[in-house]
Amino acid sequence: MSVEDASTTAAQVRSGALSARAAVERSLARITASDGVVNAFTAQLAERALKRADMLDVHPQREKMSLAGVPFAVKNLFDIAGLPTLAGSKIERDAAPAKRDALLVRRLEARGAVLVGALNMDEYAYGFSTENTHYGPTRNPHDPSRISGGSSGGSAAAVAAGQVPLSLGSDTNGSIRVPASLCGVFGLKPTFGRLPRVGSYAFAASLDHLGPFARTVQDLALAYDAMQGPLQGRPSDDPACAQRPVQPTLPLLEQGAQGLRIGVLGGWFREMALAEANGAVDAVAQGLGTTRLVELPEVERARAAAFLITNAEGATLHLKDLRGRAQDFEPLSRDRFLAGALLPAVWVQQAQRVRHWFARRVAMVFENVDVLIAPATPCVAPLIGTDWLQIGDKRLPARASMGLLTQPISCIGLPVVTVPLWGMSIEAPHLPIGVQLIAAPWREDLCLRVAAQLQAQGLCSAPVAKGL
Amino acid sequence: MDHSAYIDAAAATLGLKIATEHRPGVLQFFGLAAGMAALVHGLPLEPVDESGNVFRPVSPVGEEAS
Repeated sequence: MSVEDASTTAAQVRSGALSARAAVERSLARITASDGVVNAFTAQLAERALKRADMLDVHPQREKMSLAGVPFAVKNLFDIAGLPTLAGSKIERDAAPAKRDALLVRRLEARGAVLVGALNMDEYAYGFSTENTHYGPTRNPHDPSRISGGSSGGSAAAVAAGQVPLSLGSDTNGSIRVPASLCGVFGLKPTFGRLPRVGSYAFAASLDHLGPFARTVQDLALAYDAMQGPLQGRPSDDPACAQRPVQPTLPLLEQGAQGLRIGVLGGWFREMALAEANGAVDAVAQGLGTTRLVELPEVERARAAAFLITNAEGATLHLKDLRGRAQDFEPLSRDRFLAGALLPAVWVQQAQRVRHWFARRVAMVFENVDVLIAPATPCVAPLIGTDWLQIGDKRLPARASMGLLTQPISCIGLPVVTVPLWGMSIEAPHLPIGVQLIAAPWREDLCLRVAAQLQAQGLCSAPVAKGL
Repeated sequence: MDHSAYIDAAAATLGLKIATEHRPGVLQFFGLAAGMAALVHGLPLEPVDESGNVFRPVSPVGEEAS
């Protein structure tokens, strides 16, 4: 069964060489064949998807649609009309069905994409492993004995498994970048406030970002460009949305890293990573011809700030259910939510001040550099059920530690593209690991340009998992 | 540091029942958060260092910028 990327599929559908129905049927067949192993999907929308595909096949504007006939799926915290928005939980099964699709789903479908399903995640996005007790773990397509990462584990796994060429996830502390790293796909976490979050279930609203996963940089840019743009009508529906105009990135990819000042993050980002992660960063730095080392100040405190803000905001959102039905929460995150409800206000307020302090210091760093490189995860995907991770002389909780290197970056909302490298782990050479390409706010174009160059050089790639 | 007394008082104030089986986990994660709090409070800040959480005023529908 052939597994095409989004750009190829869209070009074929636009030209009439492939029908949208055939593209959707191919995706549905792939899901049926592989999801018994991967467990990426919590809902499949075959009837809706085929109906929409048939409509596209006779649509007079099909030839102009950038995503014509491209199947995609979304983390199940995105609203899908007619379904309760689960956000990975058992509790939300009782919620009323969504009345309409999330805004980003509507924007992708307006360009011709076809939603085929909803994807598994850590409950309420509070986790980095997608070992969801209610819906089962999403397994890593490249080694089903291992985690997919999280919280957007289903989103990364579905793309890595070739079930869909495109998916959407969310990232509060690393939930796009961690699963992209562990599943070996490209992921984009745009600048905080870039993409509107209307119709998505919040985790910690002052840190929540939405973004795409894909198997090529071109597909990532294609999807991102289709989703950009200010909120129309009632912007206060997402008060964090910055109302930026569309700034297309796809036409800029050919520029690559030419003329860009690129630095490698040291300190915390080196020390909290295993050899395979540092090796991946070194390979990227070598490929880009940079030896410039950059150190950010007070990274550990920035990570602590993100931790506290997330803990308190997440608990606040679920206080009613924590009071009334704590036993129905995911066991892996319930006690963290309960603890988060009890944090003194001054801890959280101070965390917000540290966040702003850190953002201002990092902005000064970007006066002298355009893109920063860091590992996305400390290691390749651990086995499902792994509780502890050893980094140097530190024995750390494995699940929380997957976000050690992503949290300080999302804390200040910087745009990041995660690119996958292979063969970096001596013990597990079949597994990928991701590298973060980080830019100043609103410069997603620079992250994507560097990613495109690395892809063209053959250093980064996202092959479909074999054997599924 | 033992946070038990604080946790009991804060939970009671919030009307949050901590079941016996959840208590060790809550103590563990509260302790973890306390360590994070020590880190953020360990950074010397001045009154000019404002919050990263900024409010955006909301105009009546129809007058909001789009």
